[in-house]
This record gives sequence, structure tokens and C-alpha cells, in this order.
Amino acid sequence: MTSGSAFFQQIVNGLTVGAVYALIALGYTMVYGIIELINFAHGEIYMLGAYFGTIAAGALLLAGVPVYVTLPLALLAAAGLTGLYGLSAERMAYRPLRKAGRLAPLITALGLSIFFQQLVLLTQGAKDKVFPLAITSAGVTLGPVRVAYIQMLILAVAAALMVGLQLFVQKTSMGRAMRCTAQDPLMASLVGVPVNRVISLTFVLGSSLAAVAGVLVVVYYGKVNYLSGYTAGLKAFTAAVLGGIGNIPGAMLGGIFLGVVEGLAAGYIGGEYKDVVAFVILVLVLIIRPQGLLGVRVPDKV
Amino acid sequence: MSLRHFTACSWASAALGLLLLVGCAGTDGKVIRVACVGPMTGEQAKQGKDMLEGAQLAVEEWNAKGGVLGKKIELLVGDDAQDPKQANAVANKMFTQGVVVIDGHYNSSCTIPASEVYNQRKMVCLTPASTNPQVTDRKYPTIFRVCGRDDQQGRAAAQWIAKHLPGARVAVLDDKTTYGQGLAGEFTKSYKELTGKEPVFTGVVVKEDQDHTPVLTNMKGSSPDIVYFGGLYPQGGLIVKQMRQLGMKTSFMSGDGTYDPEFIRIAGPENAEGSYLTFIPDQEKLPTAKKVVDAYKKRFGEVGPYSLYSYEAINIALQGMVKAGSEDGEKVAQAIHSMAFDTVFGPMQFDAKGDVLVSPYVMWQVQGGKLVQLPADS
Repeated sequence: MTSGSAFFQQIVNGLTVGAVYALIALGYTMVYGIIELINFAHGEIYMLGAYFGTIAAGALLLAGVPVYVTLPLALLAAAGLTGLYGLSAERMAYRPLRKAGRLAPLITALGLSIFFQQLVLLTQGAKDKVFPLAITSAGVTLGPVRVAYIQMLILAVAAALMVGLQLFVQKTSMGRAMRCTAQDPLMASLVGVPVNRVISLTFVLGSSLAAVAGVLVVVYYGKVNYLSGYTAGLKAFTAAVLGGIGNIPGAMLGGIFLGVVEGLAAGYIGGEYKDVVAFVILVLVLIIRPQGLLGVRVPDKV
Repeated sequence: MSLRHFTACSWASAALGLLLLVGCAGTDGKVIRVACVGPMTGEQAKQGKDMLEGAQLAVEEWNAKGGVLGKKIELLVGDDAQDPKQANAVANKMFTQGVVVIDGHYNSSCTIPASEVYNQRKMVCLTPASTNPQVTDRKYPTIFRVCGRDDQQGRAAAQWIAKHLPGARVAVLDDKTTYGQGLAGEFTKSYKELTGKEPVFTGVVVKEDQDHTPVLTNMKGSSPDIVYFGGLYPQGGLIVKQMRQLGMKTSFMSGDGTYDPEFIRIAGPENAEGSYLTFIPDQEKLPTAKKVVDAYKKRFGEVGPYSLYSYEAINIALQGMVKAGSEDGEKVAQAIHSMAFDTVFGPMQFDAKGDVLVSPYVMWQVQGGKLVQLPADS
């Protein structure tokens, strides 16, 4: 099993996975924060992002675009296209049901998730899609710890996006409108907040972040298939609940925490048990702090 | 549903059922029916097509020579869609259609349940591609395997290491599936027997996972020179890629489940360079196969990895039938057990379980981003 010197390596492994969970968890938590919907199709949105990135990178390389601009362009293309998917999902599947109680949108979300899976299965096939660029496995070695350049890229992009999102929500007028809507949509609309636009924007932002996570993962692991969204979505949802659903810094903390715990559990106990450990911790957190690590207990909204 | 409705419905379904039965009438004794059964649709449709083409070629050759026992051969096609339940259903369908010889299935998970039917109905079944030991370990008298077994493959890998890398520190990983665990287990057993050493590290990768860095980090601590992996190419590719990301130079060795160009693409050609895979020999280079390969290419194009096994499955069954002088499954099977066949792979004989006597596996290596067969004596 893991020796002392491998401990820090396991932490680095876990951080990389955790950063990805955190990016996906943001989408869950933002949507829940605004309309109290658990968007179970969000994992599939992440998977769609990975596909768009892979296809865009393939097309760009075919068109003779140099390698070092391919990746940023593929990221942008994936974020944009997936954002559109998020937007249309909200318009077509969720908005008509906004006043229909909580169960109908939840079931719609599950249906949408199956729809996206099958859409990709039918159009792209069941085989793994391989990212067309072979990314270098090189990296730097710091004592016992080895960090690949691609791991650094994932951590840097995730950190930048999280800081950016936090600034957006706290400092801009649109961010203020989002916070308003989250507190009380009816009141917000009465004081002139364009509630529908705010909700649409939330879906676009969440979907784009998930798409970035998807592209980073497909670059890191090299492959994606139509079922990839399921596990990733479940883990990210766990991360969001762990951090306190509806709470943006909570989702980030939850994601990182879950990734590191999983990495250590897989390293010290065994890969078969890492999900067990992750979910046991989730249950314990929910027993001791039902509102999650950073969540605040809010009185029921009437 | 009211009772009257119910009665009406049952009459309707009974009538439909009768119609189906009419459609399933057996042969009238003027032809001998053989069937090629495999994944004809879905993700593995390519493998199904490879099998079918091999069978078609063999049947055409036999019919050109006048058939068997004075009758023409008719080739039926069955689709198991790589689904064990479907495999069982198609096996029963083949029985009702009067098929006496089955060339199939492709997946062990399909061959195993389907062979229960073939055994019960005394139909001769020769699988061209299912390598799980269970296929023949149940010792059913009419079930044969034309290709190799997973345990022969694990042994071939261990022999290679014992001969060419005698001092290497060996680690073993598996994916906990029937196939992967069986393969890794057989490798470890043979490795211990041949070298008297234990692997320096054993671990498990979870098939559903993408991130194998935790177990690889642990493995790194044992500083192995080579890792043997029992599992399939998606995980194999990820293992190689992530070892390199962790700065490990450990070589990689695996079996036929990893033999796929996708393995190199997922790992990255640079990372996969030098990896070893046990697989069947390149048939296009076998001198004994030249004539058949040429005929196959002329008729269908590219020869698939299991096309010629399917071709030989039909040949062996029909030769058995000629010797037995009967279409009776049990008699044909007895004849096959007693004979020595001259195949495109060289001489072939079956043991009491229905396995080939000589292990067909050879070592392949990734060289310059491509899979290349290593010479047997190097």
C-alpha cells in the first residue's frame, strides 16, 4: 500500500480529479441555488462538452490549425456549443414546468439525461472517442511528487474559472441579479430583475463550466464515451451536496475535498473501495451537518 | 382488461404463435444446415461480419466440391447482438431450424449460455473466438474451441518474460472481470512456476474508472520494470498514459483484450512504444494460409483477426461429418475428437475438453506506433 513518500503524490492525483468535480459541481449548485432544481442532466452536459471539444479539435487539426491554438479554440467551441445546449434545455424542458411543483422538473431532468445519452450513442456510436491530440506526458518532479504539465493546466484553468465566477457573482450587476433571484424570484421580478434572463444565464454558465471540465478530462484521460457523464455527474452532485448545495464556494470545496478523499481511499484502501469511502463521508456529513460543509441553514421560503 | 378482452387476446396470440411455428419448419433433408452465429449488429458488427465471411468462403468451397454426404450445405446467419440472453434465444432458433453445426459465438459471455442449448440438443458448436476457459471446461462433448484459451495466453506471456527479461521486477494488475482476473491469475501462476519469484506488486484497476493514478502511484513505490495487465484496451491505454504522466518508465504487457489500435491512440503512440501484447500470429504471414488468404481477399477484402478461425470451424465440422458418415451431432463430435486436421494454422487436434492442443499465442510489440509481430525465436 501507499508509503509515506507517496502520500503527497496521492494528494496531487486527488486534487486534479477534484478540480474537475468542482467545475461540474458549480453547475449543479448554481441551478439549485436559483430555481431549486436538481438538474440531473448536468452530467450529460459535461459529456456533450467533451464530445464537442474532441470534434472541434479534430476539425481544427484537419484544417491545419497549429497545435497550440487548437486546444484553446476547442475549449471555447465546446463551452459555447454546450452553453447553447444548456440554454435550450432550460427553455424547452424546464421553463414550461417552472410552476409545476418539484417532481415534474426532476423527472424531466432524468428524461433529458437519457435523451442526451442516446442522442450521442446514435450519432457518435458506442465506442470510446479518442482525443485527436496526443498531449505530452512530461512534467516536473518535486522530490517524491511528480506533476504532469497537463495536471497543472487542469488546476490552473479550474482555479481561474472559479475565481472568475466568484467575482462575477459578487461584483457585477448581473451577479447581483442572480443573487436576488436566488433569494426570492417573485420579489426580484417585482423590483425589475429580468428573472427569465437570469435563469437562462445561470444554465449557460453552468453548462459552459461543465464543458470546460469535459474538455480538460478528455485531454487528460484521452477518451470519452456516451456514458461518461453518468458517473462524473453523480460525483459532482455529491460534491455539491457535500459543500452545501446552492453555495458556490461550497461546490468548489466539496469537489476538491471529494477528489482528495477518493484519491487517498484508492491509494490506502484500494480502488474498489473509493466510492464506498466517498459516499460514507457524504452520509456522515449529512447526518452531522445536513446543510453541507459551507451551507447555511435557511428558513423555509414560503 | 376485461375477461372477454383477455380471451380474445389469447386467441389472437395463439394464432400468431401458430403462424410463427409454420415459419420455423425444419429442413426437408435435402440440405445440411450450418449456421454462423455472432454479433452481427451493434458495436461488434465488424467482428460478426469477419466471422460470417470466413464461414461463407468455407461453405462455398465445400459446395463447389459437391457438398457433404451428397447434400448441399446451406449457411444460416444468427445475430446474438453480443447479448447473452439473445445468444440463448438464437441458439434455440437454430435448433428449430434444423441446424446441425454452429460456427460461433464471438463473445465468451454468449458462447457459454448458448452452448448449454447446443449441448442439450446435441448440436456441434465450434467457437472461433471465445477464449474464456469456461467455454470448454464444462467438458460438453459437442463443444469445441478452434482458437486459444485465456490461460494459454497468460502462460505465453509468462514464458516470454522468463526467457527474455529474466531479471525483471514484475507487477500485475487486473480489472476484476472474469476475463481480466482469469488472465492475470494464469499469468501469475505460470510466472511463479517458471521463475520461482513472486510479483513485486499486485493491484486492481476499476473498469468503470478513468483515473488509475492512485494504484499506479502505489505501484511506482515497488519500482517494477514491467507490468502485466489482465483487462481490455480502454483501461490498458489509460494505464500506460498515466504511468508516463507519473514519470514511470515501466514497460507494459497485456493480452488479446488490449490488442486494438485504439490502445495506442488512447495511450498516445509515444507512451505505448515498446508495449507487449500476446495475440494470435499474423495470418497473412503464415505460409500455410496463403492460398486461403488470397481467395478471401479476392472475395471480401481485408481478413479480420478471427475470419480464418471461422473458416476453419466450418471445415473441421464438415470434415468430421464426412468421417462420421452422418449428420448426427454426437457422431460428428466423436469423429472430430478422433481426427487430426490440416488447417491454415498448421496441424490441429483437439483434447478431451474440445480445446486445441497447441497454444497459438505469439508476442506482438508496439513499434513506431504500430503493432508488429515479434519473431518466435527472439
